[in-house]
Amino acid sequence: MDKSAPPPERLIQIGDGASIPDPADKRLITAWSIAFAGDITAVAALCIFSPEPYWTILRFLPDGIIVTFQITVLGICLAIPIGFITGLGRLSRQRAVNLVASTYVEIIRGIPLLVQLCFIYYGLGRALKMPDLMAATAAMGICYGAYMGEVFRAGISAIDRGQTEAARSLGFNRAQTMLLVVLPQAWRTILPPVGNEFIALLKDTSLVSIMAMTNILQRGREYNARHFEVFETYLMVALVYLFITLILSKGVSLMEARLNYYDR
Amino acid sequence: MRKIFILAASLLLLSSGAAQAAVKALVAAHDCTWPPMEFVDTDKRLAGYSLDYVQAIAKAAGIEIESRNVAWDGIFPGLLADRYDFVASSVTITEERRRTMDFTTPYYEVRQAVVLPKSSKAVSVADLSGLTLGAQIGTTGFFAIERVAGAKSRSYDEISQAMEALYSGRIDGVICDDPTAADFALQNKTYAAKLKIAFIIPTDEKEYYGFAVKKGNTAVLELLNKAIAKVKADGTEEALRKKWIGR
Repeated sequence: MDKSAPPPERLIQIGDGASIPDPADKRLITAWSIAFAGDITAVAALCIFSPEPYWTILRFLPDGIIVTFQITVLGICLAIPIGFITGLGRLSRQRAVNLVASTYVEIIRGIPLLVQLCFIYYGLGRALKMPDLMAATAAMGICYGAYMGEVFRAGISAIDRGQTEAARSLGFNRAQTMLLVVLPQAWRTILPPVGNEFIALLKDTSLVSIMAMTNILQRGREYNARHFEVFETYLMVALVYLFITLILSKGVSLMEARLNYYDR
Repeated sequence: MRKIFILAASLLLLSSGAAQAAVKALVAAHDCTWPPMEFVDTDKRLAGYSLDYVQAIAKAAGIEIESRNVAWDGIFPGLLADRYDFVASSVTITEERRRTMDFTTPYYEVRQAVVLPKSSKAVSVADLSGLTLGAQIGTTGFFAIERVAGAKSRSYDEISQAMEALYSGRIDGVICDDPTAADFALQNKTYAAKLKIAFIIPTDEKEYYGFAVKKGNTAVLELLNKAIAKVKADGTEEALRKKWIGR
């Protein structure tokens, strides 16, 4: 990397994902810092200058934040392997494997996540008694596994065919070619959209309110149901969600920076 | 041009002032997930005790009342934002709610029923300690759970979801108003086989349903109160109670 040359000015690409700042892009970093600083300042100012109701609302939320994190982390842990296998399955030459993976993606992608949650929790509830966290994680993992499968597939097929051909002609077998040559390169294409999916997954955890699970939104609604401070409650809930997603998007962009090391 | 504008504006003001003076039509909000008080019947029509009650009021007051189905979660914020004139949705009159809303004279006396699986041996509030209990979000049933020492609370969007969760064994009990508890635990064949109304939570003060109007909306409040008195006096209320609750 040549540190003396200024980084080239560049417009935000659609493929970058709306919420992921690229460290090479000064404007986006500013956008992130403005949002982050603004969010913290807003929360602090509201809690200091108007502790009633804002501080009361904020203190009502923590256990909701923990559950939100639990579902997000477990959901991601489940969605990545599912997505990886699905992505490979979609590219597989074995007709049966390809068909199974493609059908899975088509079905899951076509059903709203809220409906899937209702189905797993209520619809299957009588026959299949899963603990709440497991039901929520399963729904998140299955749904986002399908989305991520498409991301993995796109990332892998974006690698030039010449790479595969070269590896094969050097005597690598199919698995070695995929693991040692194609995937290490594909990661860099895959990671930004996968990071976007993480953030989307975190935001979609608010849907588990339907299962009466104490996430941030549910806690806010419970507070609201008693005090009717609608504007104040939802403002606080929005700021807390924004705070968490901003940290997550920063984490994703840092990870991306490490992977993009050789590009710069 | 300017004169015309002023004329038009004053006309507009006059007409809106006139509309306020004589109430001709009102809009009522119900959360129709609460049988037998208010629910959506098989023909997708809103039905139930409070729906009929509202129509009886309309007849008694000589006005038109339109019933609208609104999710419970946003029903009071909607009232405060003038989306409708009053809430007729099994709202228990509580001191806490009185701070933000005005209530009409009561139209139904209600108690909090505890629904448990048939196998449960609990017979009093003390026996509920350590259990996970469900209710609809923001209802008096939910507030009752919060008062049970040592119980965990779960708030569902609709009471039917809480009952289903109880039926499939996700939670240990449900607390809600007694007519609704009876509708699920006794009338519904599937649930009746497995659930029971274990007991009624004893209270020092009686609980009543009232219609809620925005604080300070005396025009609508007085109109409703007058009509309720008429409906009570001419026996319509009793007939409706027999029809929907059976007593």
